[in-house]
Amino acid sequence: MKELIKKLTETNSPSGRESNIREVILKELDGYIDGYEVDRLGNLVVWKRGKTDKKILLDAHMDEIGVVASYIDDKGFIRIEPVGGVSPYNLMGGRILFLDVGIKGVIGVEGETNSDLQKNLKELNFDKVFVDIGARTKEEAERLVPVGTFGVYSAEFVDLGKRLVSKAMDDRIGCAVLIEAIKRSDPYHTLYGTFSVQEEMGLVGASVVAFNINPEMAIALDVTAWSDTPKGYKRMSIELGKGPCIKIKDSASISDRRVVDKLRNIAEANNIPYQIEILIFGGTNAAALQRTSAGIVSGTLSIPCRYVHSPCEMIDIDDAENAVKLLNALVEDSSI
Amino acid sequence: MYLKELTELSGVSGYEKRVREFIKDKIKDRVSHIEEDVLGNLIARKEGKTDKRIMLCAHMDEVGFIVSNIEDDGKLCIMPLGGIDPKVVVGKRVTVGEKEIPGVIGYKAIHLQRGDVYTPPKMEEIRVDIGVTKKSDAEGKVRIGDFVAFSVESMVHGDWFSGKALDNRGGCSVLIDIINDDIELYYDTYFVFSVQEELGLRGAGISAEKINPDFSIVIDTTTSGDNPEFPSSRRSTELGKGPAITFAHSGYVIDERLFKWIINTAKGHNIPYQIKRRTAGGTDARRIATTLAGIPSAVISIPARYIHSPMSVLNLEDYNNTLRLISILLTKEVQL
Repeated sequence: MKELIKKLTETNSPSGRESNIREVILKELDGYIDGYEVDRLGNLVVWKRGKTDKKILLDAHMDEIGVVASYIDDKGFIRIEPVGGVSPYNLMGGRILFLDVGIKGVIGVEGETNSDLQKNLKELNFDKVFVDIGARTKEEAERLVPVGTFGVYSAEFVDLGKRLVSKAMDDRIGCAVLIEAIKRSDPYHTLYGTFSVQEEMGLVGASVVAFNINPEMAIALDVTAWSDTPKGYKRMSIELGKGPCIKIKDSASISDRRVVDKLRNIAEANNIPYQIEILIFGGTNAAALQRTSAGIVSGTLSIPCRYVHSPCEMIDIDDAENAVKLLNALVEDSSI
Repeated sequence: MYLKELTELSGVSGYEKRVREFIKDKIKDRVSHIEEDVLGNLIARKEGKTDKRIMLCAHMDEVGFIVSNIEDDGKLCIMPLGGIDPKVVVGKRVTVGEKEIPGVIGYKAIHLQRGDVYTPPKMEEIRVDIGVTKKSDAEGKVRIGDFVAFSVESMVHGDWFSGKALDNRGGCSVLIDIINDDIELYYDTYFVFSVQEELGLRGAGISAEKINPDFSIVIDTTTSGDNPEFPSSRRSTELGKGPAITFAHSGYVIDERLFKWIINTAKGHNIPYQIKRRTAGGTDARRIATTLAGIPSAVISIPARYIHSPMSVLNLEDYNNTLRLISILLTKEVQL
């Protein structure tokens, strides 16, 4: 599974520019699915037939956070705007990779005096930072990175043994879990996998992806926060390596009790470690799935992830493996 | 072009009737079907060469206020409808309610201020003075729940047009012009004049649901930022440089194929255009895109200065180029 995670996280596809990752996922699923469709917003919908026509939907968003070039000045420095929840602090010292041409740039901060610079670093925002792609002229920068070009953090995949680090664990780890669940399972009911677009812009793809599917149950697979680092969030209890998290609630949705109970019962029956999650902020595609058409019974299964939305998001491979086991048991179960 | 007439009408969010009636009167004989839906959106249809549908959408509402209380001295307490900066409303003339009672948003004279000259009033401190001294006299003229709209006469000075509510009567006027120009439409074209955009994109979604178009283009008036105090890197758009084309805004990355198609069309016909540099703020495109099974959407805007204030400014060349660009787009098949 590590190889798959590496491949998925090293594919660069921020919100609204998901065609690269969509191709990688489709290729990965070749031979394991009974059909697929790319809907009008670019969501990838795949299915694997079961013994009944009842449907279970598992969703992972395939976009990642990123930036977009918004302005090029006379010297060829590029201004950027965030795509999704990017903190300017996470840009410091890092690099940006602009898509299509694959141009890398480094980040600079404005400051006409030293105290000016210190002040800007303290109160950092996107107005104060720029990307330097090493262009010598405005024309060179415009040719390489025309305004409107999307970019992502340029940060390599790191294998630390059980722990893996990448810029795009959110939510390629969900995509990896979903791909493995589709590959390994022999679903009892028909299994729908949706790899949705623009989650980081506000659950855009998931708002429409289930509209024509009408499943009995939908589960979003996404990352969640953590509490097991020095002075980490103390009002939550989520640790890496202790199992996937069955979400009770976050800021955007309350998981349907039927989903929570079902996941918990299956985990208990199969001796799969799990954690119960109450996230005090954030949200997942479950919020959009839940409100589709006349409503869908929805919940979220999360993978604990440290340093979410930074270039170094860290997960534990055991949590991902256990999520796949849990989902396998779920989709092979005859009850809904 | 109906900028003068449209900007001199009162139509704050939720009270769009006058604007709707005006538009209906101007277009009713030029369309094959016209209707008003339950929320008050006006939908007009013109047939094209194919059965495929495109939806154009411009919101009719403007930012304004609602009367929330009448005080003992006859002054009116107001609450904003839409995003309004309290700094820009003091000392301005307004119109209250269906009877169009004139009023003034006053503030204590500079003689009565000490250190508070540079601290703008809070919305709670602002009152509307309609020239009465007793609550009972005020109650004879206005009621709680009446709208309060800016009352401004427009003016043309060279290439510039100034008036209130250019956001988004500018877009409404462009759509009326397109309808009356009788161009050869490629698609079955639906023109939607939507309500309550300024309160959170409330109207457009239900029209999109009714029409279920294959594509949608939102026509809006967007903020410029070419004030001298902004360096050009921080401007959103600039007046005189053509229609602004959006790559992403709050809650939605514009469909990449539509974005490129619009730019290529502008280039191919030598129409000046600019790419909007800021992603803050949103449009009906977010709502339309997430309707039903998903509707790919794009945004084209007329740049305007000082929007959401009693006086905004646009460049008439930009207006004409926006009209030209959209007129050409509508004769063509969307290239994906």
